[in-house]
Amino acid sequence: MSDDEPRHDRPSDTATGRDVTDRTGVETARIEAVTAWIERHALTLLALATAATLAVMLYVPVAIVFAEAVVDRGSVTLASFADVLSDPFFVGELATIAADPLALSDHLAGIWGWLTAISISATAVTVPGIGISIPWFAVDTPSLRLGLFGFTAYQAALSTFASLALGLPAAAVLAKYDFRGRRTIRSLTILPFVLPGILVAVGFYATFGRAGTINSLLGVVGLGPYPFIEWNPLAIVIVAHAFYNAPLIARVTVAAWEAVDVRSVETARSLGASRRRAFVDVVLPQLRPAILAGALLTFIFTFMTFPIVLALGGLELATVEVWIYDRVSRLALTEAATLAILETVISLGLTYAYLRYESAQSGLSATGSPPPREPLFPNLRSVVSPRRLAIVGYGLLALVVFVGPLASLVLGSVTDGSGFTLRHYAFLLDRQLEGESFQTLPVRAIVNSLLFGLATLLVAVPMGVVVSVVTTRAGRSGTVVDTLAMLPLAVSGIVFGIGLLQGLVFGISLPGGWRLQVTGTVAIVAAHAVAAYPFVTRTVSPQLDDLDPALVESARALGASRGRALLDVELPLVASAIVAGAAFAFAISIGEFSSTVILATGSDAYTMPVAVERYLGRRSGPALAMGTVLLAVTAASFVVVDRVGGRFEQ
Amino acid sequence: MTDLRLDGVSKRYGGGGGTSPDAADEPGTLALRDVDLTIRDGEFFTLVGPSGCGKTTTLRTIAGFEDPTNGRVSFDGDDVTGVAPERRDVGVVFQSYALFPHMTVAENVGYGLQFRDPPTGTSRDDRIEHLLDLVDLAGMGERDPAQLSGGQQQRVALARALAPEPSLLLLDEPMSALDARLRESLRRQVKRIQTQLDITTVYVTHDQSEALAISDRLAVMNAGRVEQVGSPREIYREPATRFVAEFVGDNNVFEGTVDETTDERSRVTVDGRTFFLPALPDTADRVTFCVRPDALSRAAEHNRFTVAVETTEFLGERVRCNGRWNGRLIVLHVDDPIDGRSADGDLTVGFEPSAAHVVDVE
Repeated sequence: MSDDEPRHDRPSDTATGRDVTDRTGVETARIEAVTAWIERHALTLLALATAATLAVMLYVPVAIVFAEAVVDRGSVTLASFADVLSDPFFVGELATIAADPLALSDHLAGIWGWLTAISISATAVTVPGIGISIPWFAVDTPSLRLGLFGFTAYQAALSTFASLALGLPAAAVLAKYDFRGRRTIRSLTILPFVLPGILVAVGFYATFGRAGTINSLLGVVGLGPYPFIEWNPLAIVIVAHAFYNAPLIARVTVAAWEAVDVRSVETARSLGASRRRAFVDVVLPQLRPAILAGALLTFIFTFMTFPIVLALGGLELATVEVWIYDRVSRLALTEAATLAILETVISLGLTYAYLRYESAQSGLSATGSPPPREPLFPNLRSVVSPRRLAIVGYGLLALVVFVGPLASLVLGSVTDGSGFTLRHYAFLLDRQLEGESFQTLPVRAIVNSLLFGLATLLVAVPMGVVVSVVTTRAGRSGTVVDTLAMLPLAVSGIVFGIGLLQGLVFGISLPGGWRLQVTGTVAIVAAHAVAAYPFVTRTVSPQLDDLDPALVESARALGASRGRALLDVELPLVASAIVAGAAFAFAISIGEFSSTVILATGSDAYTMPVAVERYLGRRSGPALAMGTVLLAVTAASFVVVDRVGGRFEQ
Repeated sequence: MTDLRLDGVSKRYGGGGGTSPDAADEPGTLALRDVDLTIRDGEFFTLVGPSGCGKTTTLRTIAGFEDPTNGRVSFDGDDVTGVAPERRDVGVVFQSYALFPHMTVAENVGYGLQFRDPPTGTSRDDRIEHLLDLVDLAGMGERDPAQLSGGQQQRVALARALAPEPSLLLLDEPMSALDARLRESLRRQVKRIQTQLDITTVYVTHDQSEALAISDRLAVMNAGRVEQVGSPREIYREPATRFVAEFVGDNNVFEGTVDETTDERSRVTVDGRTFFLPALPDTADRVTFCVRPDALSRAAEHNRFTVAVETTEFLGERVRCNGRWNGRLIVLHVDDPIDGRSADGDLTVGFEPSAAHVVDVE
């Protein structure tokens, strides 16, 4: 923003300059000069404040944890990396490469030997519980030791695949067909993404657990109960990941689809392409960046998954993040930090790739006039067409995956083994009225969550907007800044929480006897804001990018400072994105668990997700009741902001 | 009002990541090379050239949206290089109009009056009304920009730029998004307002006929350099370089070797055919000269050659014939109809030595 600073001042060319000579008071002149200076540099000042907040609340805590890995008794060492990289437990077969990277022919021979040992055979698979055999291809691969990182990537890849399989049909239906509730479903696709992991985990237990909804339903027809989760915890974890990420993929794909210009399709058709060819040749290439970006983001999220795996899989399914958590709780901090650095390097690399894709995608989104949507069910007969039947079938599947866990959660909160009951809620009420101050009080949790959410919104929105403004149209250097600013997406929540605790809550000694210490509510809000602002940036940046640069330039030529042009022109025009970003920030704050649970330990600054976790005991009832309250508050705030946002979009 | 000078202005994009729409992405693109310009007080000055020639970058450098890599920009002798755009007192109109869509027409026009006071004795509202009047949009103040036609939007943009009485008006291809007829009438209106306000104006266009029609003086730019500065007549009649000769208006360019130079004339051979030109310098060996299509006449006695006409375009009184002579593209104008026959086939034409303009000698 060096262009904000005039290197030469012409004495009489500014309005303030003219005013000053008219008025006589020297004091007035000084105040005006300061005001003018602040106004002129408002954006720079905000950017510096954002950078400072990020430094104190993000980079320093993360650096403190990372330092554990490389500092051994005061000297820097990379020994712990060598230990991890050559240990098959962590990196599987790659360990031999790390141990002796130059023995290339051995490595190649190993890969060749493995590839030639793959065999594919036809077989039959028995569907568990029903006893029907279906033909299947069995791919028989020789055993391959994946290691911790390999397994983490493997489950992330499976989760990404499942999310694509579940999300793309939804995108197709939302983009191609018109039906009642289409817009609502489209905006609801954001909801799973902001739901707290602990809530989803509880919801999946309530659906697939031994006493869950599915077993209850099967019990009606005399089957079960089946231990679904114990049978294949990996499958349940992957479905839970799809629950989170398929809506995300659907969302970005629909957005790209709606940006497709119908004229490009019509051109292809007039040139002789069939409907299918036109889709493959014209529409699909325009969707590809969005789909890839969505898939990449899904991979990043599921690579760093934590609460879902911990709750549904436990240590047998340990991902890197779960293992880090385990090491931390056993105070093996060096190993934890080493793993955290490796994990962050991988996820940062992926985030950079994602941002590159995203910018490629924004180049494509021209002013689209999307193809018209056809009614989903134009008449009664159309229901039985194969295509419609497939859509109905998909709808039922989506109902089980997306609505099932949440419905089971609510259902579980008002039932017990024998039928309808309100005693779980009565327990909450009783705890509120009779509980001791050291116990977890439901109303306090709700009030805390709402207050933190509001405070987070107030901090995260300016931060996110400033990062958007600074990085938009800054070319490749902008992508680098963007990647650094997106660090909260790429860094493990556990590491972040530990860093905050070790660094800011315990305090950092500064030279001159000062101590930098941030605690309690402030620390929680700051942690939430740091976690939330990337989502503000991600919603605001594309809209800001689409604005005609001449708008801001016109304002500036007319005499507005950069900050003033932002306030008068850019912000009003991206208001809908800012509102959406604010909704995100609020929801992220309400749902944040990993760092809150660490920072709220031993204080009464607990939030609803923390309360859910604390109520989770031998009986799941109270936790389900608290979870339902959390779901209701999240959904209500979402609906409110969505309404407000909808008004802004006009 | 304002005198404007650019001294040795260069602009290199890349390294730090360029932001201009003109900038190519590869590092180290030189968009402007050592541009010197002096634009006089009250002048209507046009920068014209093909796309990517640096005309828009020059305008953006004057406005302060780009900082030059080298050189300086000065207004009335004051160095303004590096001064932020909002402190330069310029009015800018963009091709895309760039009207603020969330403000009414009146709010758009009045926006700059928040930062610079209207002329003494006028209120803000009076000033807005006056400007809307000036651009023939009286009574449209309460409309939304989206309700207006393209031409109307562009006039609002002009009124908005003029409202704070800038000392300099900068117009960046303001009419390229409009249809031809509208463009001409708006062009006349812009010129009328400019003369009326006597405001120094820099106008950017790729349309050479527009540049010739509207300007007091113009600069023809190519590949980041100024090729020639002059009045429309000078530029048209005495192009300084081959680029200018070919870019401005239709032209026929010939290169030949000088055989003999006497006091009155030089004898030149082009593709084996002898032409006579006004006397060239004694030292000249090779010459590049051009002849306008109107100067190629069937009646001319000298320098005759036969053109194989390939296509004709009906212009009204005249017909433009495009053809070839010795493989060279030749364009010429003839009266319509030509002796009652079409212009297809061969046409023998010539030109007077005085009609040839010498662009370059070696």
